[in-house]
Amino acid sequence: MLGRAIRSMDVMVHSSTFLLPKLHQPGHTPAKNYALVVLNQNLPRFMPRLWTHAKLRICADGGANRIFDEMFQLTNEQDYERVRNRYIPEIIEGDMDSIRPEVKRFYSSQGSQISDKSHNQETTDLHKCISRIHRSTSDHEKTNLCVLVTGALGGRFDHEAANINILYLFSDMRIVLLSDDCLIRLLPKTHKHDIYIESSVEGPHCGLFPVGAPSGSTTTTGLKWNLSEAKMRFGSMISTSNIVHAEKVTVQSDADLLWTISLRNLT
Amino acid sequence: MARPTMSHSSSFLLPTTDSAAAAAYAVVVLNQRLPRFAPLLWNRARLRVCADGGANRVFDGMPELLPGEDPDEVRTRYKPDVIKGDMDSIRPEVKEYYSNLGAEIVDESHDQDTTDLHKCVSFITRNPPCSETSNLYILVLGALGGRFDHEMGNINVLYRFSNIRIVLLSDDCSIFLLPKTHSHEIHIERSIEGPHCGLIPMGAPSASTTTTGLRWNLDNTSMSYGGLISTSNIVEEETVRITSDSDLIWTISLRN
Repeated sequence: MLGRAIRSMDVMVHSSTFLLPKLHQPGHTPAKNYALVVLNQNLPRFMPRLWTHAKLRICADGGANRIFDEMFQLTNEQDYERVRNRYIPEIIEGDMDSIRPEVKRFYSSQGSQISDKSHNQETTDLHKCISRIHRSTSDHEKTNLCVLVTGALGGRFDHEAANINILYLFSDMRIVLLSDDCLIRLLPKTHKHDIYIESSVEGPHCGLFPVGAPSGSTTTTGLKWNLSEAKMRFGSMISTSNIVHAEKVTVQSDADLLWTISLRNLT
Repeated sequence: MARPTMSHSSSFLLPTTDSAAAAAYAVVVLNQRLPRFAPLLWNRARLRVCADGGANRVFDGMPELLPGEDPDEVRTRYKPDVIKGDMDSIRPEVKEYYSNLGAEIVDESHDQDTTDLHKCVSFITRNPPCSETSNLYILVLGALGGRFDHEMGNINVLYRFSNIRIVLLSDDCSIFLLPKTHSHEIHIERSIEGPHCGLIPMGAPSASTTTTGLRWNLDNTSMSYGGLISTSNIVEEETVRITSDSDLIWTISLRN
């Protein structure tokens, strides 16, 4: 995608169908495959539906503890063991300094691939997980792949900043960071963006942030306070507490932007 | 041209502090769960401001953080001086309770251009609790986590008021701005903070940053989103020194 000469900008289409109880294929987007990466923070309450939608689930180190401990209370099941046996990650990856031994043993015995990267202290656990997905996905497959990440926000601020930097370092992949309160995506400046809003599960609060570098010109449609060739910069104006006002929001900018939208109470 | 040096210290988080210390503290509470050290900072502050629903958090949270004490007594003691905002989150009974105790309620309609924190910081700079704002620290609780657009808006307040010391605090970490106009000396209080730290070029890349006192020091190093940012670094010395061509966010973990 990035290598082609672009005369007029390609449009990148985004939608949050993965938040719906059942996946559907909206007419405007190609079928998406989902991969799920679980980091070591409290699971969001909608984790069961993400797990079901994903074809590949990777726990980053202590993320495995979270699945082991917390999945049960997020389901309507009565049988603790049944839940535990149902939610088995395909891969557990990372430096293995947080995963509890009994958790590692359990998932290993259930067929999870344990990918011990403790020799590599240069990169974060999320970086390792995304690298793995990046390496094993062809360019063609990348256009249809969306990586959902839980547990990347909140907690230590330097961890959050490093996790957000992953979106920039792997800007040829669709990666969505999710918390109970909101989601974040990168809108690369190389494309115009059409963001379809699933109003049953997300909104209305949203924002756009020039985190890496200022924007000299950003234009939007579909927001309550649209931008019209507006400058945005930390230290000056950034778009916070905006409101989605249409089924589709469009964004075009001379800078990479982070898009965020609030999530409704999903169970 | 030599830049002036700006000194920083988190001594406000120490259990006991020199009462003759030059620094004056104001505390701002936003609408998220109180961190465990909220009572300590509240007691140390000369001015306590709640942004709207932050008043609910103080009302509910202070007795929870001081479980050995009578809740009503705690609420009376930990009374905000000012409650500011558009009042759409504060519970009516909480507003009435604090109003009866003499808290100043500053009601204002929602303004899209400025966040609750921005309004509180503006208010404090117009009504400072000390004669010298160079010694004023505004300590903010509840600015991190939660909705990401709120967090970004709160961080933007650090940039927009770069001449005021503002520290955003959570249970896990603290963050503040290192303006490019100064060289910075950060005195590390090892008993309450560290060792994990980071330097984040939020908003613009840095062509050149130099540090001392960290495990992985920067030496005229460039940093940017999409490239290198300094995270999961470790403080190794009692004083960390930082000089940069760009405004940076400093963050350090807080000990339990």
